[in-house]
Amino acid sequence: MSDTSDQTVVETPHGAGKSDMIVLEGVEKIYPGSTQPAVSQLDLAIPQGDIVMLIGPSGCGKTTTLKMINRLIEPTSGRILLDGKDVTHVNGDQLRREIGYVIQQGGLFPHFSIADNIGVVPKMLGWDKQRIRERADELLHLVGLEPSVFRDRYPRQLSGGQQQRIGVARALAADPPVMLMDEPFGAIDPITRDRLQDEFLEIQRTVGKTIAFVTHDLQEAVKLGDKIAVFATGRLEQYDDPDTILTRPANEFVSDFVGGGAAVRRLSLVELAHLELHPIETDERAVGGHNGTAVAEVDGSGKPVSWRHLPGGDAAGMPLVTVPISGSVYDAVDVMLDGCASIVAVVDEEGRAQGVLHWNDLLGGLRTRERHS
Amino acid sequence: MNYLDYLASNSQQILFLTQAHFLVVLIAVGVGSAISIALGLALSTGEPDPPRLSFDWFAAGIREGGLVFTAALLTVPSLALFALFLPFTGLGVTTAVVVLTIYTLYTVLRNTVAGLTTVDRAVLESARGLGYSRIRRLLTIQLPLAWPVILNGIRVTTLISISIAVVGAVVQGPGLGILLINGISRIGAANSFYQVLTGTLFCLVVAAVFEIFFAIVQRLTVPRGIRV
Repeated sequence: MSDTSDQTVVETPHGAGKSDMIVLEGVEKIYPGSTQPAVSQLDLAIPQGDIVMLIGPSGCGKTTTLKMINRLIEPTSGRILLDGKDVTHVNGDQLRREIGYVIQQGGLFPHFSIADNIGVVPKMLGWDKQRIRERADELLHLVGLEPSVFRDRYPRQLSGGQQQRIGVARALAADPPVMLMDEPFGAIDPITRDRLQDEFLEIQRTVGKTIAFVTHDLQEAVKLGDKIAVFATGRLEQYDDPDTILTRPANEFVSDFVGGGAAVRRLSLVELAHLELHPIETDERAVGGHNGTAVAEVDGSGKPVSWRHLPGGDAAGMPLVTVPISGSVYDAVDVMLDGCASIVAVVDEEGRAQGVLHWNDLLGGLRTRERHS
Repeated sequence: MNYLDYLASNSQQILFLTQAHFLVVLIAVGVGSAISIALGLALSTGEPDPPRLSFDWFAAGIREGGLVFTAALLTVPSLALFALFLPFTGLGVTTAVVVLTIYTLYTVLRNTVAGLTTVDRAVLESARGLGYSRIRRLLTIQLPLAWPVILNGIRVTTLISISIAVVGAVVQGPGLGILLINGISRIGAANSFYQVLTGTLFCLVVAAVFEIFFAIVQRLTVPRGIRV
């Protein structure tokens, strides 16, 4: 990189026209007493509004990289640009107040109430009390916790999942454009983690932050990331969108890391909402049959309960299983295997049928629209 | 003369000595704790990713040295330490307070250091990540979270000081030691046993008053979120 200006806007192949919010240029970290760099000559650009997952085995430098972005760890050499501004040498504490930060165990202050925890950064930035209180309530709503119940509680009165929600709310408090997350869901049980991830994506849809997210969980990286950066012992091995990482690993290390089952894991990338499904009939008089349309019996509220007709199959012997349209093909396959059914009805939030997916569709190649359409 | 008569006829003196005992311990513990907590805070280390040549190394050295030194002081027999200070501070209250203060240092310093260093790393890391400066972290996160441990150190040192203050009577320090020394030196004489008994019992009274005092202080000063 030979730019002389601090206002460089780097075009990226995936973020057509989006400027890069976080740019690391030739960043290197050598810890005192060590000869081997923990991170060596790293160039990484994170486009505005993207979630970039930093992943790799332990000791690969992913956490060091994350912490160099807000200078919790000072780089030995190289430059860090934030929204085009060189922040390599600005006051670290001040810099960190403008970057959200979430860590694994939540790191909530046990002696602060929930509202005070959320308000720590606004307080340092000198907001008035009324505004801090309103912001805390607003954020509690955003992370799905009722302000009147939670604002005066203390961290130890909350479950791990709730604490982590507060951790996210606290990081969002002063509305920073950039968030850094260090395995935020790592210590949470799988069921809660799954829900937190869904909520996190939901929140990201409204706030549109630029996020660097450290994880060791490939499933999580694939689910949450717009792009994935795979690290190995201080080097960036591949930086691509999840689909490419899974299907076209750049080298042996990445392909080993991605491991077997990439084809199955890819199913979780395909959202049912973005899939062209087969039609389904729920009309009383519909018989289907010759045009190959599946027909389902529905109950009073319009929810499909059993198959009346299936194209080329025995409707009576086939259990009717459903999957919500917000899920992925992975979920649909899971439901099919679980219910011993070769066809699944995709339903909307009210439980009404939107279409069907056949087992054979999986083999014939799924017809999808663009992922980020 | 039975014991109750003794108490009744000497109530003025007993009350005065008890108050003096309470005060000398309060002053010594107050001064000693202030010094120890200030030292503990000033010499606290544990900053992640320190530069190669940092104040931390220096501070850690002084802190460990200070702990060894104050621990050594605590093991000096109190009778000897009171006597050693006589040439400098003379007979009376000053020597008693100075020596007592020295005895309070180790426990409070040790507990301050322990309290500050055992604060959850995750809490400190997130504070740092949110832009808390070192001083702000120390005073608004570490100190409040370490406070229950520090307060316990002060409590323990207070109890120790109550019994050491008795020895202060040999340098004419104030307090119940006067009754005890007087009683022991005249043992067998009239009321001498009553004096010893009274000195002992009222030390317990002083301890009880301090315990109540600390229970209230704890209630008022330990943040609600970390009360057990």
